[in-house]
Amino acid sequence: MIGARPIPSVEDMQNLPSDLGLVARAVNLSKRYGTTGAEVIALQDVSVGIRRGEFTAIMGPSGSGKSTLMHIMAGLDTPTAGRVWIGDREITGLSDSELTLIRRREVGFIFQAFNLVPTLDVAQNIRFPFDLGGRKPTLEEEAWIDEIVGRLGLIQRLRHRPSELSGGQQQRVAIARALAARPALIFADEPTGNLDSKTGREVLALLELAVREFGQSIAMVTRDPVAAASADRVIFLADGRIVADRPRSTAAEIAATMLDLEAVQR
Amino acid sequence: MTAATVAPDRPVTRRAAKGVHRHRSGHGATVLVAALAAAFGTGLLGVIDLVATSVGADPALSGVEAVRFMLTVFATIFIGIAVYVAGVVTVNTVATIVAGRTREIALARLLGATAASRRALLAREGLGAGALGGVIGVAIATGLIWAGTRIAVDGGLLDDLPYSAFSPLAIGLVVIVALVTWLSSWVGAKRVLEVSPIAALGAAVPADVDQVRSRGGRRAFAIVMLAVGAAMLGLGVAMGFYHPAGLLIAFFGGLASFTGLVAGSVFVIPPVLRVVGMLWGRVAAVRLGAANAIRSPERSARASIGLVIGVTLITTLFVASATFGEMLEIKALETFGSTEPVEGVLEQLMLIFGVLIGYSSVIAAVGLVNSLTVGVLQRTREFGLLRALGFSRAQVRATVIAEAATMTVTSLALGLGLGVFYGWAGANSLFWGELGELHAPVVPIWLIVGVVGVGALITFVGSLVPAIRASRLEPVVALAVAA
Repeated sequence: MIGARPIPSVEDMQNLPSDLGLVARAVNLSKRYGTTGAEVIALQDVSVGIRRGEFTAIMGPSGSGKSTLMHIMAGLDTPTAGRVWIGDREITGLSDSELTLIRRREVGFIFQAFNLVPTLDVAQNIRFPFDLGGRKPTLEEEAWIDEIVGRLGLIQRLRHRPSELSGGQQQRVAIARALAARPALIFADEPTGNLDSKTGREVLALLELAVREFGQSIAMVTRDPVAAASADRVIFLADGRIVADRPRSTAAEIAATMLDLEAVQR
Repeated sequence: MTAATVAPDRPVTRRAAKGVHRHRSGHGATVLVAALAAAFGTGLLGVIDLVATSVGADPALSGVEAVRFMLTVFATIFIGIAVYVAGVVTVNTVATIVAGRTREIALARLLGATAASRRALLAREGLGAGALGGVIGVAIATGLIWAGTRIAVDGGLLDDLPYSAFSPLAIGLVVIVALVTWLSSWVGAKRVLEVSPIAALGAAVPADVDQVRSRGGRRAFAIVMLAVGAAMLGLGVAMGFYHPAGLLIAFFGGLASFTGLVAGSVFVIPPVLRVVGMLWGRVAAVRLGAANAIRSPERSARASIGLVIGVTLITTLFVASATFGEMLEIKALETFGSTEPVEGVLEQLMLIFGVLIGYSSVIAAVGLVNSLTVGVLQRTREFGLLRALGFSRAQVRATVIAEAATMTVTSLALGLGLGVFYGWAGANSLFWGELGELHAPVVPIWLIVGVVGVGALITFVGSLVPAIRASRLEPVVALAVAA
């Protein structure tokens, strides 16, 4: 293993994640699918902290467990063993409705595609997190939404439906929606996977902007070294384990690490 | 690391895919609707047969054959309505199947199949489903009549005569039902022509929300029919002051305007859906449900129109007879000083007619329930997104129920409104000259209660399965579908 994070000590576990500068944290996380005998291990004893105000990329080849890690840390899936915190709140063992509220209030999502509710227009999609809670955005929040819409260049599109937008425009709306509710952490699952390289770069630039200027914490799952090169930190997964944890790197360095991992696998 | 520990990125995909495949054929509703129509026709013809055989055995009665012929002609009208509604329902069922198979059709197109061949394939599947349903329907109805006859004979209610439980006309019925289902499937499969081969690659985002495509010809036909029909209705009612033949003009006016409405349902129903959807309020979950009801205006219009037809016919019948009955009583009070001579004259006849027409509403309701159920199952991924973004299970259920309620309330409200108007026009065009003044429509309270009850039942049944399925979805599984 190359530079894996040490497993936290007992004293570490008694600290709140926020004391450690973390916005989300997983400790000794394992996930197994299937029944005994035909068991598939997606995650093995993974411990990781996502730092506040950082753009973190989670890299790994197909089948490395990176999507499973994201799903569990976002409260979309439950671990077989281990504990997860979002902010200072532990989410392991929460009921479905409690997890629903965590997702609604603390987490933002940007998926690869099919991000938007097709029956709502752009403005309604962006305000959707507020509608879910049955409340109107406050004046301050409205000003914030206006600012995001302006910065993401969506003003002309507010009355459009998702089906009238290009893939890149749809991703912009998804980013705006994720930013609107000011969640503790935004999870982005291959946000550029469906886009051409130019549009993909624009989306990555917007994510970087959200971190740099708005202090938003973002965790992005990706297989694309170019995308990961936008991040402040790159965590590498292989076979359900964290195998490397690097500061900002160039696409070439990230690609080299990925090739090493593939070589190790063979 | 050993290969044994390598985990798939999305271990749930296969499980989810299996769920999709279970609904692959989707012709269940087509078979059911064809069976219901065929069973109705067989039952009606069988009962006429039975009565004719029973009465014909009495040597004192002559002219049985003539009466039998008349009854058969009469029955044909009701069977025609049922088969027509079944056809309308099937068009929609097949359109729904096409929406669910878009990727599969696109893949076939990608590999070189022509759109026309895919459309013909669906029509052939429809022919098969229609024939199967027709045979099942005839078999069940024949069995029921045979059993009913035996019980009646054993109980001494009928003389022991050589009744034929199987009418040869039933064979013709199977053929008609199969052909109508074939034709409806072909019409419903029209959307196949719009499936682009690119859709198989998953790069294209499906246009989830359809726009009503402009159809100048259809719109013009609908408007002309509505205008001519309305004018004839007005003329018929006006003429009713001088002569009861006003009813005849009003009848054709009603027929024309209703044909216009059915033809133009794509333009008429979506605005009503929109208004009904606004009734539910601004809560996010419910608003989404209402929006889902109009996301595909053509499918919603076709899903609703069957029920509109059924409810309009029943309401017209009962409002006309109730209104006419009350006018008759007023006249009797003037003439004889008592209502007794005319009491209960119409009730029995209307009840029989009501049951015969009401049957098509059952077929229409099957279509609406199918459309709601399949529509929600096809949107698994969207419900996964909603759950991921923080939609609770209760909110998912509310969304599904709001969609079902929007469609049902729209159909029933339109049907009731039209029926009250037609019924009023019918009674007055026949009889207001006798009274010297127009009589307000009489709407029996039990009709309202019945319609509201049926509406609640359809909403409940139509949202039960999808609401449970949608609210049990694990967001990860739902998002992985066709990813």
